[in-house]
Amino acid sequence: MGHNEGEHEQERDDLSADDSLWSDDVWSEGDEGSLSFEDSGEGSEAESDEPEEAAVESDSSEDEVAPKNTVGDVPLEWYKNEEHIGYDISGRKIKKRDREGRIEAYLRNADDAKNWRKIYDEYNDEEVQITKEEAKIISRMLKGKTPHTNVDPYPDYVDWFEYDDKGHPLSSAPEPKRRFVPSKWEQKKVVKLVRAIRNGWIKFDKPKEEPNFYHLWGDETDTADNKRQGLSYIPAPKPNLPGHEESYNPSVEYIPTQEEIDSYQLMYEEDRPKFIPRRFESLRSVPAYEKALREGFDRCLDLYLCPRTRKKRININPESLKPKLPSKKDLRPYPKTCYLEFKGHSAPVKSLSVEITGQWIASGSSDGTIRIWEVETGRCLKVWNVGGDVRHIAWNPAPDRPILAAIVDHDLLLLNVEVGSEEVQMKSKELLRIDESAPEDDADDKKPAVRWVKNEKLDGITLIHHKAVSNVDWHFKGDYFTTVVPSGDTRAVLLHQLSKKHSHHPFSKLPGLPVAAAFHPSQKMFFVATKKFVQVYDLQKAQLVKKLESGLREISSISIHPGGDNVIVGSKDGKLCWFDTDLSTRPYKTLKTHSKDITSVTFHRKYPLFASSSEDCSVYVFHGMVYSDLNQNPLIVPLEILRGHSSSDGRGVLDCKFHPKQPWLFTAGADSVIRLYCD
Amino acid sequence: MPKHYRPPGKKKEGNAAKYITRTKAVNYLQISLATFRKLCILKGVFPRQPKKKVEGNHKTYYHMKDIAFLLHDPLIEKFREIKVHRKKVKKAIAKKNKDLADRLLNRPPTYKLDRLILERYPTFVDALRDLDDCLTMVHLFAALPAVDGERVEVKRIHNCRRLSHEWQAYISRTHSLRKTFISVKGIYYQAEVQGQKITWLTPHALQQVLTDDVDFNVMLTFLEFYETLLGFVNFKLYHSINVNYPPILDSRLEALAAELYALCRYMSAGSGGVTRNSESNRLIEDKKDENNKASSKTDESELRLAQLQHQLPTNEPGALMHLVEESSAADADDDDTKECKSLFKNLKFYLSREVPRESLLFIIPAFGGTVSWEGEGAPFNEVDEDITHQIVDRPTQSHVFLSREYVQPQWVYDCVNARVILPTEGYLVGRVPPPHLSPFVDNDAEGYIPEYAETISRLQAAARNQVLPLPGIGDEDLDNSLVEAMIDRTGSNENAEKKRKLEMLEKQYHDELKMEYEGITFSNLSNSRAENPPDAVEKDDTRSDHEEDANKQAEKDAADITKSLMSRKQRGLLEAIEIHKERKREKVEQLKKRKKNADSSAAKRR
Repeated sequence: MGHNEGEHEQERDDLSADDSLWSDDVWSEGDEGSLSFEDSGEGSEAESDEPEEAAVESDSSEDEVAPKNTVGDVPLEWYKNEEHIGYDISGRKIKKRDREGRIEAYLRNADDAKNWRKIYDEYNDEEVQITKEEAKIISRMLKGKTPHTNVDPYPDYVDWFEYDDKGHPLSSAPEPKRRFVPSKWEQKKVVKLVRAIRNGWIKFDKPKEEPNFYHLWGDETDTADNKRQGLSYIPAPKPNLPGHEESYNPSVEYIPTQEEIDSYQLMYEEDRPKFIPRRFESLRSVPAYEKALREGFDRCLDLYLCPRTRKKRININPESLKPKLPSKKDLRPYPKTCYLEFKGHSAPVKSLSVEITGQWIASGSSDGTIRIWEVETGRCLKVWNVGGDVRHIAWNPAPDRPILAAIVDHDLLLLNVEVGSEEVQMKSKELLRIDESAPEDDADDKKPAVRWVKNEKLDGITLIHHKAVSNVDWHFKGDYFTTVVPSGDTRAVLLHQLSKKHSHHPFSKLPGLPVAAAFHPSQKMFFVATKKFVQVYDLQKAQLVKKLESGLREISSISIHPGGDNVIVGSKDGKLCWFDTDLSTRPYKTLKTHSKDITSVTFHRKYPLFASSSEDCSVYVFHGMVYSDLNQNPLIVPLEILRGHSSSDGRGVLDCKFHPKQPWLFTAGADSVIRLYCD
Repeated sequence: MPKHYRPPGKKKEGNAAKYITRTKAVNYLQISLATFRKLCILKGVFPRQPKKKVEGNHKTYYHMKDIAFLLHDPLIEKFREIKVHRKKVKKAIAKKNKDLADRLLNRPPTYKLDRLILERYPTFVDALRDLDDCLTMVHLFAALPAVDGERVEVKRIHNCRRLSHEWQAYISRTHSLRKTFISVKGIYYQAEVQGQKITWLTPHALQQVLTDDVDFNVMLTFLEFYETLLGFVNFKLYHSINVNYPPILDSRLEALAAELYALCRYMSAGSGGVTRNSESNRLIEDKKDENNKASSKTDESELRLAQLQHQLPTNEPGALMHLVEESSAADADDDDTKECKSLFKNLKFYLSREVPRESLLFIIPAFGGTVSWEGEGAPFNEVDEDITHQIVDRPTQSHVFLSREYVQPQWVYDCVNARVILPTEGYLVGRVPPPHLSPFVDNDAEGYIPEYAETISRLQAAARNQVLPLPGIGDEDLDNSLVEAMIDRTGSNENAEKKRKLEMLEKQYHDELKMEYEGITFSNLSNSRAENPPDAVEKDDTRSDHEEDANKQAEKDAADITKSLMSRKQRGLLEAIEIHKERKREKVEQLKKRKKNADSSAAKRR
């Protein structure tokens, strides 16, 4: 019925009435008066909301407004032939309207401009006029758009459900029971905690600060308690105290110059000074020391990482290290000062030899001359020009045989010196006569070891060796002599007899290259020095008696004590060995004296003296006392270092010999001078 | 077969049993290397050098007894507990159990080192003997920047600072400081406590930079031990002079970074007696509280401070008793302390800006002086008429008082080392001060006496005569002669040389006479000379040179000649000694040369 009234109203108000009114009416009709009051109250402010409300209400309007006809949703053709179209709410028949004639309808339609908006409602059998809005809606729907303009078909998506931290979609599983029942385990835990708290196992307050320090050491009266337990404690050494140079304002002499600082760069890193003193004008300009932390750390490392040992600091007087020696004054006489110089040679004097009476000396030089000098005056008595490098020279020790053996180049030369009485001279001349006999050794396929050849020019004998000779030594009786041919293999050491002009080579095998050979001063013994050993042979029995081990690198010279039991050996590493053959085959004493090769060692015939000469231009004179008591070891005392020779070509003193009777020493230098040292 | 093979089942003997390598020791103790290191540092266990290194030459060996000593230490168990605790905290945090984590963090397992200290230093003197490193380290850490987030906790730096001040206050109070030295590395101090000489180094009062090339774990472990040690030592020392420990300081002075001064005042107040002390302590505390309340008004607090200052002496048992105690204390002091105590007596110092304040505040009272500084909380200010010396470094002065002397800080240090009041002329502001010499060097042993050291020794001698006019004239003479001898050492050397030369000439003359005596010789000589006269002439010319050389050579030969008979070992030893001597001599020579050069260049400039 509301519908009806509305329709009437609309018809009454003509079509000017807008849909707001219509909808309002719908509300007011359909509900109680209170609602209508509300409606009137909100009237003006609802203006803007109207389209929305209309949009919401429009769909439901048909449902809510009850239709006049109550037949329900039945096919209308059932009432086709009836007079009524149905029944109203009170059960009365609703009569069909009278049909208009076609013409009448047409005319009415033509008159009415709003006719197109009228629709025939078959169900209620009436005509309904569509409002403007409704028409609009219809037209929109025809176009396939949404009925209402203010419906957004594509609104922004709002996700009302938070998926974050959920991990899985919402479960639709029913709430489990345990969510509603108090937990047993929780209860247990609580009980546990309560117990722990009650018993004081869990404490919530911060621990109280106790006084940290107290009288730790007590009275220190009990000494037994005060001992440190365990291993002995080695206190760490204290850091070094600073010296003057560490001052911020050191004295000028402690500051190195720029050149010195530069020169530190050339040093090895470990030698370089760690700290370079600097001077600051005032205390305020001293900067912070950047290595402070580092040095503190290094000290820490030293303290806990360095092994500590107790070391005895030896604080000894260096003088106490030196051996106690008898006073030099008691050991006099010995050569001390240079007394004479024999000059005349023009090249290094290689060797010298003193005549047994001590009146003459002979010297051989590499300028090709052999000179005889008078000792006391320094006069040169004789000069032979042998025309070759004189390497070694030895005077016959027999006083009645003034014969000189000299090694010239490769060979040995025997010369008559022509000193002494007529008779002696004649005798020696006789000795040096040689028959020009055909060499009988020619038959041998081998080249003979030695040939005795007369030297016409110098009126002597030349012993032509198969290889270069290096050393010659006379037997004390003056008839035999020996020569050493270092590269001679089995014929390296040769023995010659002057009177018979005969030579032979008794030693077939030697341990190493021979260097020198010497006769025993009184017995029939023979010493051969090889590079490392000294072999002692008994000539009569022809067998090896002893082998002395020197322990040196290379022996250069040997000398036999006049007693015969002691041997000294000089080496090329500057060491001198004293052998006591009765004591041991090892050196009794090794003296490291010279800085360069020892060229010669020699014993004095009468005095307890021996000397060594070296390439370092020095000659050492020692006191070497051999006691007749076998229980007493020889006494060796260094006495004097004689200097004076100058070096030439890196060579110094080449030979030294004692005077046979006086405590005088002759030295032959590479500076072509012979010197005589006396006490 | 390995070198030191031992059949299985046979027990080790000798070095193999006695010593153990580090790796093996760590395994044996079942701890990590870091823990082992920490344990070694705290227990003072160090590697030892076995006679025979069984396991190899490049390994570190510990004595088995040392390791057993570590094994039985409860500290090992404590370290394990700490490890477990750390794990628990980590787990609680990982399980978001913040409650538990907090609770655990609140009560970490702690350990104390007092037992270790007593073990390592059974007597107090032992502790003092090893205090050098401790003091140097604590002073070094006290100079580090107290900044949060650095590798060193601020709390510990403050603790170091406090401990070092406490130590200095004690030294200053008992006048036991003996020597000081400003070096490039910092300032060295030497004090004598109970007969032990203790030397330590404090860095210059400038910010130190924390470098990356050090392992702070190691250093902090050392520091941990040292902090405890110094705490106990300070406790003992403070109690020996009847002062409570730890001292309660005036917070205001503390805030002004004048802790040392505050401590000194505390000590002078506290020396009245322990019973009194507690009372005064209470007072101080009360005052402190009040101070805190009224800290907003500085004027008021200043007033209170003044009151406090006045109150303290009145609380003491009277000036008379104080005097008595002073005198009795003086009797107990030895001569050295007395001398130190009276060095700066009746002198009043004022420190300007830019001088090492902390150091001077420590030194000057240690030698009996009164001192004040520019800034708040100072006992007296610059306008005080009684000030005798003002210590200034920068030579700009706003107002110059004629009644006082303006000296550079070095003067104080030099006075302290020389134990006399040096004349201030050289140290006046604006001048380059005389060289600062190390008091730790024995100049005589070194073989070289710097010029200024001689000057000082002369001044000392003069001061001694002045101070102690001894009745005997002989003593004075002796003194004088001593000084003279010291000065004239170089002169005497020269004399000796001259004498030697004369002797040489004489000897030569005698030789010639002797030659003449033996007629042959002369003729021979002339003969040989005649052979090559030009050579002889030349020889004559260079004769003196040769002679000198020859003499030197002869001396050397005389020394060398006995060497040839020595055994190799002894010869080596002797040579080592000689090399050492030579090196020392060379050093002295170089110093002399430099000095000479400097002097000549200075003369030229003039």
